[in-house]
Amino acid sequence: MNTILEIENLCKYYGKQENQTKALDGITFQVMKGEFLGIMGSSGSGKSTLLNCIATVIQPTGGKIIMCGKEVQSLKGAELADYRGKQIGYLFQNFELLDNLTGRENILLPLSLHNVPKSESNKRIMEIASYLEITDVLDKFPSQMSGGQKQRVAAARAVILNPSIILADEPTGALDSKNAKLLMKKLSGLNQEYNATILMVTHDCNAASYCKRILFIQDGVIFHELRRNIPEESQQAFYERILKVMAQLGGGTANVL
Amino acid sequence: MFFELVSRNSKRSRKENGLFFASLLISIVAFYNILALSKQDIMIFLAKLESDAVNKLLAMIPLFYGMTLFILFFLVYFASKFQLERRKHEFGIYLMLGMRRSKLFFMLLAEDFRSSITALFMGLPIAILLSELISLVTARLAGLGIIGHQISISFQAILWTAVGFYLIKFIAFLILSGKIASQEIGSLLVETPEGTKKDLPSVAYALAFLAGVIFLAAAYGMAISGLAWDEAGKMGLTLILGFAGTLLLFFGLRSVMGFLAKRSGNGQKLQAFTFRQLQENVIHRSTTLAVSSLLILAALCCFSAGVAIAQFYSGLEQHVLDYTFSSDSQDIAVVKETLESHGLDSLFSELFEMRVGYIRSAKDTDNAFEMNSVLEYLARLPGSDDRDVLLNNLGYQTYPHVISLSGYNRLLSVAGKLTIELAEGEAAVYMDNEFVSPAKLEMLNQILALNPEVQIAGENYRLTGTVQSTDLVTDSSITLSFALIVPDADFERFTENDYDIYLNAVLNPEQVAGKSLLNAISETNEKLDAAGLLYESYLQNMGRQLFYIAAASYITIYLAVVFLIIANTIIGVQFLTWQQKTSRRYKTLVRLGASYETLCHSAGKQINWYFGIPAAVAAISSVFGVRALFSGLLSSRVKSNISAMMIISVAMVLLLCVVEYIYMAVVKKSSNRYILTLMVPEREE
Repeated sequence: MNTILEIENLCKYYGKQENQTKALDGITFQVMKGEFLGIMGSSGSGKSTLLNCIATVIQPTGGKIIMCGKEVQSLKGAELADYRGKQIGYLFQNFELLDNLTGRENILLPLSLHNVPKSESNKRIMEIASYLEITDVLDKFPSQMSGGQKQRVAAARAVILNPSIILADEPTGALDSKNAKLLMKKLSGLNQEYNATILMVTHDCNAASYCKRILFIQDGVIFHELRRNIPEESQQAFYERILKVMAQLGGGTANVL
Repeated sequence: MFFELVSRNSKRSRKENGLFFASLLISIVAFYNILALSKQDIMIFLAKLESDAVNKLLAMIPLFYGMTLFILFFLVYFASKFQLERRKHEFGIYLMLGMRRSKLFFMLLAEDFRSSITALFMGLPIAILLSELISLVTARLAGLGIIGHQISISFQAILWTAVGFYLIKFIAFLILSGKIASQEIGSLLVETPEGTKKDLPSVAYALAFLAGVIFLAAAYGMAISGLAWDEAGKMGLTLILGFAGTLLLFFGLRSVMGFLAKRSGNGQKLQAFTFRQLQENVIHRSTTLAVSSLLILAALCCFSAGVAIAQFYSGLEQHVLDYTFSSDSQDIAVVKETLESHGLDSLFSELFEMRVGYIRSAKDTDNAFEMNSVLEYLARLPGSDDRDVLLNNLGYQTYPHVISLSGYNRLLSVAGKLTIELAEGEAAVYMDNEFVSPAKLEMLNQILALNPEVQIAGENYRLTGTVQSTDLVTDSSITLSFALIVPDADFERFTENDYDIYLNAVLNPEQVAGKSLLNAISETNEKLDAAGLLYESYLQNMGRQLFYIAAASYITIYLAVVFLIIANTIIGVQFLTWQQKTSRRYKTLVRLGASYETLCHSAGKQINWYFGIPAAVAAISSVFGVRALFSGLLSSRVKSNISAMMIISVAMVLLLCVVEYIYMAVVKKSSNRYILTLMVPEREE
């Protein structure tokens, strides 16, 4: 299996010496091609900082992020813009669709940003749209869509350029349970059928149960790792294992007074 | 703490909204310049000669001042509105933290006051400097000489500038802060989505666009054909059609924008985004855009009219004579005697009589002259408007003036032109420039070449030579629409020795040497006044002309500048505010991998369109508007020259392009700076 993403000893510190907060304190892991990796942790554990470092939203204090063999921190200008657009597809918690563009125009945005001829992608957009069940809303504006439809349009936008990895930041955070389930099924389908690599940050155990592997982060370090035993382990069983770890993460028995 | 906050906030507003601040400065300059008009050298000088007319103009200044106040109020209101809306969230936070509404009100008032003071302190010196500069330049151009120039700061003008400026700012502030204060904290804190799209079916927009085009075409048609000038009602209809047409056109424009967005072809980065942004902007602000476009149109028309009027008046008259003493109010023999006895005749190199009278020897004095042959010749010429006008006008010339040949020939030789020779039974035609255009002149000369026979007091005469039009006296407002030049003996017979004498004089070149002509005339005037003589001088005449030029061009160009500034500022401020309101979209684009250059390119394109649409509509309308203005306002002589005048209007459009380009460049710079601040994406929790 190929390694898509390598994180080596990643650190991110905030503040001066005496008053320093270590959001990430030397994290190391790898993401393989075709993997569906979940990152879980309580609020303030550093999971969002990790995602932001990978997405080049913030600069890490130390360590390396290597995407497809290339160190991300060294990218600048056009290369950086290319990285953001082509190497990663980003799925936001609050969709971040441009509300003055139709669904189709939103999905085509990355193409227009990276000068990909439209004719090539027309086939692809129809394929993705029908898979994500958003064909009806392609010519509607976001204000005319439901939350679930919006997030699936955003998902289509994230995968339209066939990125090396999809970064999903709490994708079910703004959805009701029904739509959340539908979205997770689709994401998991993208992973299984289209071999898409997904890195998802979430604190929703339900959503996490769709992953193949989960890293638990606490106080800036990896605290635990869970692997789903496919095919023996059912999703339900995996979910229960996740719940157990989460209960410990909440402070663990040591913290119970 | 409170005052520190005020000081910081007002400084920040100034920096963030430089365009608006610059417009405030310009409005101060505009106020001062119109108010200090009476202190301009040229106006002080003219007031001595043409006190009535100058006083009339100066009496109108409060009116212009009021109008400027009214127009600039809207500018200040809109720009302040955008600025306050942007800070809504901040106000909400203040209130949440326990600031009372009254305190918030006073804070905003203090901020407003502070920024106004800064604007005044920066604007007034610029205004005074500019006013002095205009004064010097116009004085120099008019040949007054600048040695006598005194710095003339008008404290009254400063006072009224400050009062007017504060007044409009304060009223705008009261209205706006009232609106803000009455809102719930919640609605202040939450960024209100810019109105849900109430989209009508696209057919409605297409129809609106079509109706707009039709209305505008109708208005253009009425304006050019001159139909609009027939009566007030038609003029009103033309204006309403034009106004409604522009509004509908802009309202319907969103269908065009939508089409362009959908068409978003290959190759163009972010084309869909660019046009959707524009479409949204146009949807929400179509009325303001239409009004801005109309303001630009008004500015273009004012500019063209001002320049054309100035050109028309300054290029019209040829300067030959310096003085005329008229027999209306004094005996010419006495005038001559007085000049000699005071030794004043040496001041003049030429002194000759111009004799003009009516044909009194005819039995039927009302029909003393008949030129049917000329009219018949004219009727045979190919049909044209000019011919019909001439036919009509000449038909009424049955009782014309006669001019004695000797006086007129003397005038011609002074003017350096060939004299005319009349044999017995011959007469020449005199028509003032004002009444014949070059085309009509040519028609008449063609007929005169045939030596048509006419009857003067029952005697047969032949008309000869070409139409004469050298001014008979100094006063250019004394003109003859049609007269006959006849030999002296015939003149005396026709007028029965009852005629007016104008004693014309030209200043001795030695008198003028080393001084400007105006100064030489001023000195001579003093000597003539001392001798108790009544006269009309070139200076007065020139003064009158200068006054027309100065008044017409100053006021129209002033208005044009004000209109242009307001329109462009509204468009610019609106765009930048909108861009900031939609900053989230730009941030999303950054996260999707849009580079700084791509975003700047898209924003630049939006700016081009956003400024370009109203300016282009205005430019097209102006071609028709200016033409209508010329055909309605200018005298017949200039009308024939309309193609030359249209060149002025084209030049104005080019000038507009330059102004728009500058504004666009400023707005682009400001937009690029803003985009740069969005390039570092932040994650909002």
